Amino acid sequence: MAVLAEGARATLWADLMRRMSAIGEPVSITKAELRNVVNAADDWVNANAASYNAALPQPGRSALSVAAKRAILVFVINKRNEDDL
Amino acid sequence: MATRAIFLPESASMPSATFAPITEVNARKVIRFDAATAWTCYWTGIAPVGLTGALTVVGHYMMASATTGKVDFTVAVEAVTPGDSTDLDAGTSFATVNTITAPTVPGTAGYLGSFTCTLTNDDSMAAGDYFRIALTRDATDGTNDTASGDCYVVAVEFKDAA
Repeated sequence: MAVLAEGARATLWADLMRRMSAIGEPVSITKAELRNVVNAADDWVNANAASYNAALPQPGRSALSVAAKRAILVFVINKRNEDDL
Repeated sequence: MATRAIFLPESASMPSATFAPITEVNARKVIRFDAATAWTCYWTGIAPVGLTGALTVVGHYMMASATTGKVDFTVAVEAVTPGDSTDLDAGTSFATVNTITAPTVPGTAGYLGSFTCTLTNDDSMAAGDYFRIALTRDATDGTNDTASGDCYVVAVEFKDAA
């Protein structure tokens, strides 16, 4: 899978800033610097997608769809940061 | 300079698209300006008798989350004299936008900051004119609008040189 398209990254970045504003999360970097972090995070996810998949045990690795395995990762990260963003 | 009008969020009106909405933060009414898209709101008035000299607008704002960077706005003026051939129910007639020197936002989100805009392009406003000012956050200016997150405008002063 490729990295997110430019438009998708831009939308994500805008939504992230709206979310941070809504909860009053202090942001001590500029918009452009935050965008660089978003891009780097997407790059990392893309570069490590195969590694993540390889870490999953069978039969889940074969039986679950790509979307399901992605959702599991999102749920795990959200749970680990339950009180944060 | 004399303050000729004070515009509060409650009296703002909005264009049909890319509008900056009224919201409430800590029981204070604010106009919310997005960080990624240029949103606009309007205020309306009648230019007072005795209006004189250079006109300015002072905007008072706070940032929702940013503690660094700058925030940039433009102000445009639409002034209509009774009898002008301006069709108020069919369009707008704003003059060229006026720019500001983008201020550095306060170091703590929620602290009050301000910016001043000289209305060099005032659409030839004269006493008695029906006028509107359009306030827009220049969110897509990557050089002058660098602060992340929403900007909440809490009040706007309209001043002249008296």
